[in-house]
This record gives sequence, structure tokens and C-alpha cells, in this order.
Amino acid sequence: MKVLYSGQAPYRYLPEDFAQRYDSVVTTPYLDLVEPANMQESLHSYVEELLLAARSGFDGVMVTEHSQTSYDLSPNPNLVAAILAHTTAVEGIDAAITVLGRSLGKSREPLRIAEEYAVLDTLSGGRLIAGLPVGLSYDANQNGGIPPIETRARYREGRALLEKAWSATEPFAWNGKYSRYPIVNIWPRPMQQPHPPFWIPGSGSPGTLAEILGHDEVFTYLSHFGPKLTGPRIFNRFWDMAEEMGRDRNPYRLAFMQVVCVGETDAEAEHLYGEHLQRHFRNSFGSVPMSGFSLPGYTDIRGVEAILRDHGDMGIAGRLREITFRELADTRAAIVGGPETVREQIIEFVKEFRIGNLLVMLHGGSMPHELARYNIGLFATEVLPHLRGIWDDEGWEHRWWPTGIGARTPAGSAAAV
Amino acid sequence: MHAEVAEGAREEVVSVWNDELEIHVQVAGSGPPLLFLHSAGGLRWGEFLDRLGEHYTIHAPQLPGTHPSDPHAIHKVDTFADLLLMYEELVRALGIAGAPVVAESFGGMIAVDLAAHFPALFSKLVLLAPAGLWLDDHPPTVFELTAAAPEEVPGYLFANPDSDIAKAFFALPDDPELIPGIVAALVWAQGCSGKFLWPIPDQGTAKRLHRVTAPTLIIFGSEDRVMPAIYGEEYARRIAGSRLEVIEGCGHIPQVEELDRTFELVMSFLEA
Repeated sequence: MKVLYSGQAPYRYLPEDFAQRYDSVVTTPYLDLVEPANMQESLHSYVEELLLAARSGFDGVMVTEHSQTSYDLSPNPNLVAAILAHTTAVEGIDAAITVLGRSLGKSREPLRIAEEYAVLDTLSGGRLIAGLPVGLSYDANQNGGIPPIETRARYREGRALLEKAWSATEPFAWNGKYSRYPIVNIWPRPMQQPHPPFWIPGSGSPGTLAEILGHDEVFTYLSHFGPKLTGPRIFNRFWDMAEEMGRDRNPYRLAFMQVVCVGETDAEAEHLYGEHLQRHFRNSFGSVPMSGFSLPGYTDIRGVEAILRDHGDMGIAGRLREITFRELADTRAAIVGGPETVREQIIEFVKEFRIGNLLVMLHGGSMPHELARYNIGLFATEVLPHLRGIWDDEGWEHRWWPTGIGARTPAGSAAAV
Repeated sequence: MHAEVAEGAREEVVSVWNDELEIHVQVAGSGPPLLFLHSAGGLRWGEFLDRLGEHYTIHAPQLPGTHPSDPHAIHKVDTFADLLLMYEELVRALGIAGAPVVAESFGGMIAVDLAAHFPALFSKLVLLAPAGLWLDDHPPTVFELTAAAPEEVPGYLFANPDSDIAKAFFALPDDPELIPGIVAALVWAQGCSGKFLWPIPDQGTAKRLHRVTAPTLIIFGSEDRVMPAIYGEEYARRIAGSRLEVIEGCGHIPQVEELDRTFELVMSFLEA
């Protein structure tokens, strides 16, 4: 199994009563809540933790995109991905640079995404995993101003443009509905051919899964809504659909993001992390207004009706603003404990749902930098080595892993010696 | 709060846009023809239209995408300019060019811009809290309304959200099986209208309003939280010879919240 470190960049100094007073996105009042020095520290710690994970033997490091958001200070994840790509190249670290990713449903300049990703892939020596998310509704529609009903059409056109810009052998004109260019001829192109692997984050609706399986790409699911509740529905749906569509049961088709907190013992873990975790969930996704996940038009009419009839896919989403540590642990929205507990719970889940790529989030919310370092260190030494071989006996080929990894000495490694 | 059509209405399906798009039109009432353009939530046939139908044959087209037969028809309408041309074709195809138009909110924005593009298309315009203008100092709250939690919506639309009238407006059927379909249709209708209202409900109509020549009645509620009543003054200022009526203590849907007063104003204007 591939195990990647999943980064998120919250402002770490939100007030105790944040979730009662504010939304975490769109309207959150910056000047009332932020001390610039604390903001700088939050961003520095975020980057340092990503680098620490890369240096600690994770197979990859992951960043995400959210604008006008207090829980992820990452309006363009490629900014930090560039730091990671360069630093790992210089230090000779063969980790995947995973951007999950720039939103093609939100972007008014999809060609810029094609260019940025190509820079990252080249800078890293072919180690980019290119996430192609539609984009969360609040981000694409409220922050980005995209009419919700256009979000998916823009995504599809932007993606077609990106793929053509990467593969065309001659300059071409693009007369799209949303983008128009007289000549497209981007520099650089990705090093990986035909292109970096595409991983698609999604909430697991049947339409999205069919598209991902149809394209033969990686479905990436995030655990925020309590995978004990949502996992059986969504992963079983995925594998059922895979079978119907004639796809194999290769576990590397699935990526799963999971919050994990490791202590020396279960008791220590709960003591160290409980409060921070509770605050993390309450203040981040918990404080996104429910309407922000789907402004009218963002979800197809049939999808809206399906969710209204059965909102099981939403798990604990509606309760996150007041969620308790106990409920987070019970629903496995977070896996918390001593190394043995954490290993057991991860392995149980991974095997049950055939997950080939695990993205672990080891920092959240107000967790101080030193505690995050502790968590990363314990996970890397006590948990990670036990996960790597999970799928070895089945012998699957990982067809969605960057080809630049293990293929050559990373460019620039000589400079670090 | 759900779309309804009139009892005994007949549906006409009109093909426009070189036969690439079908628009569904509910036709009801008796008397000379009248065009009615619905709001962002889709067509809803209430008592106002029933009363109007005693005097006029109402033709009420449903915005592409908001008729249950083809939710994806909205994707055939690329721009607001195209929508106006489609509606102009529709009015001619129905054979009702020269009839008056009554239009609410989002529909008002379409009606007034049609009249600006095609000054002879309508004999008279009645605009009920029309959208379509933007003043930096008084931003409309169309964006906030669209993103609002369900429990906040009555406070946007009604001056008295706790009134029986408001409660009846938002009442859902007793049969829980019916509710998801109704709510989904309403949400989708907002999504379809949002194509022309989002993120800023201003398609440049203001600069074309000098072209409107049909007699125009503009009605606003003094307590409209979606399109503040100052937009009534702005419309009146920009449409020569138009008349503005502001109904005190009324919100964004005067034809529901102050039905009698609104109906009286509309009828006396249409019959004059």
C-alpha cells in the first residue's frame, strides 16, 4: 500500500467559541480573527510538517485547494507544492507530490492549471500526482463566482483543454464555451508520459464514481463524515460499479484520506489530541454551512432528490459543528490511539474496503507544531512500516503512481550532497 | 413552497431556437392573452394568477430546465442574450405579440429586457419586484438568499415571515414521499435561474432601459429584503413615463403577501 501524508493548512489560533460564532468559509472575518504573526507561524508550520513527512519515509505528500477559508490557507496548492517539489528533489527524496488539487470547475483559467502542473511534474522529475477535483460548491460558486449549474460543464471543458494542451504535438486554437485561446502551446510539458496520474476527489455519488471508473482513474474519498457510517455505502458502491463496468479489483484504484493521531498508548493519545481533534472538526468542515456543499444547480436534480430521500452518504456532516471526540472516534472520522490500536483500525478498514492508497492527516485545527511533529514521528516509525505490505500478496500493479519515482536519481540530488 | 399549475390549465409545448429547444407553456384563464414570467423558484400558480385568469388568458412559460420533462434543457441556453431571443421567438410562436406582460422578480428582469430589445413586443409591462439592476450601495441579496439555510428563506421573502400567508406559502404536502421531489425541483429551478442571476444579478439591463417604450407599472414592497425598494425608484427613473407603486409593510412577493392591493393596482393599470 502507498501511504501519503495529507496536509491541510488551518489558521491555528481560532478562538474557543469559533464554531458558535462564525462560519469557517466565505464570510469568516479575517481582520477580527487573525494576528499576522500567528498566520505566518501557521503557514510555516504547515510547510515544515509536509517536509518532515517527506523526510520521514512517507510515499508522498499531499496538498489541497480552498479559497477564502480559515481551515485551509491554500488558495493555490501549487504554491506549496512547488516548495515540496524542489526541496525533495534537492534532498533526493523520492516522494510523490500530490495536489488534490486545482479545481477545474472553479478555475477561469484552466490552461494555467495545465502549465502549473507541468512545472511541478518537471521540477520534481516526474513525481506529480495530478488531482482533478470539480471543486467544493462554496469554493467554486461562492468564492469563485461560477454559476453552480455551470460548474461541471466547466470542469469537463477545462479538463479536455488540459489534456489536449499536454498531449498536442502542434500548437492549436481552443474555441470553447468557457475558455478561448488563439494559440495553445504550453511550456513546459509534464515529464511523465502520457501524463501524470489523475486522482479524482469526490463524495462518492454514483455519477461521479461511474465517470472515474469509466476513465480508469483513482477515486479519492475523504473521511470527514465518519467512514464507519459512509465507508460501507460508498466503497461497496464503488466496487459493485467496478464489477458492473468490467474493471478489476485493483486496490490502487482507491485512495482514502483519514485523520490519524498516534500516542504511546490509547489514553495518552486521547489526552494529547482529543481537544484539538474536536476543535478541528467543529471549526473546519463543521462550520461550513450545509448549503455550501451544494448551492442550487451544483448537484443535478436527480442527485438532490436522492440525497433528500437518503442522506446516509452525508454521515455525521450535519452534526459536525457540535461533534464530540467520542463520536469522532466511534465513527472513525478520526483514528486515535496507541500504535497497536491505530494499526489495527487502519488495517481493518483498508482490507475491508480494498484501499490501496492511504492519505493520513496527522495535523488538524489548533494542534501545535510540536505535537504534529510527535504524531508524524510516531506514525512514521510505529505504524507506517506495518502498512506497506498489505496488498503485496495479491500482486497488483499500481498503474496510477508517478513514473518518475524510483525511475532515476532525482534531478538536483547532487547539489545536496 | 412548490410549483403548481392551474386547475384546468392546458400545456402548450413550443419549439424554438431552430427546433433545438422546447419551451413548456401553461395556458389558463379566459379573455385576451397575457404573458406571465415566473420568478427564480419556478412557476407557481397561486391565487393572484387565478384572479388574473378571470380577465385574461394567461400564458406562463416555464424557464428551460424547470419543466419536469427535461431538467437538462437549461444547458441549451448559453447566455442571457440567447434566453431573450428564445423568449422573443416563443412570444411570436404563441401568437401573443402585443399582449401585456406581468412578471415577478427574475421574470421581471427577463420581461423588461425583452421590452428593451423589442420595444413593440408588449403593450404593457407590469414588473413585480423585478431583479436585474445593481447599486453598489444597496446590493440585492439574491446571492445570500440562494445560499441561505431553509429556515432563513421566509425572512428574505416576506416582511412578516410568521404570518399565516407566509406559512401557507412554504407549506409542504402531508405525504412525506412527495417532499423530496418537490424540494429537488425547487432547488433545481433556482439553479436554472442562477445561470442568469449568479453571482451578480445584473446582465447590463440598466444601460438598455431607455429603449423601453411600453407603459410600465413597477410594484415593490417597502420591506423587500431581496431587491430593496430603492430599485423601484431606479427602474422608474430609467424607464420614461413609468409608474412606481411601493406597498408599505410588504416584502419581495407583493402578489402573495399583499394580494388584494397588488391585484387592484395591476388590474387598474391593465384595464386603463
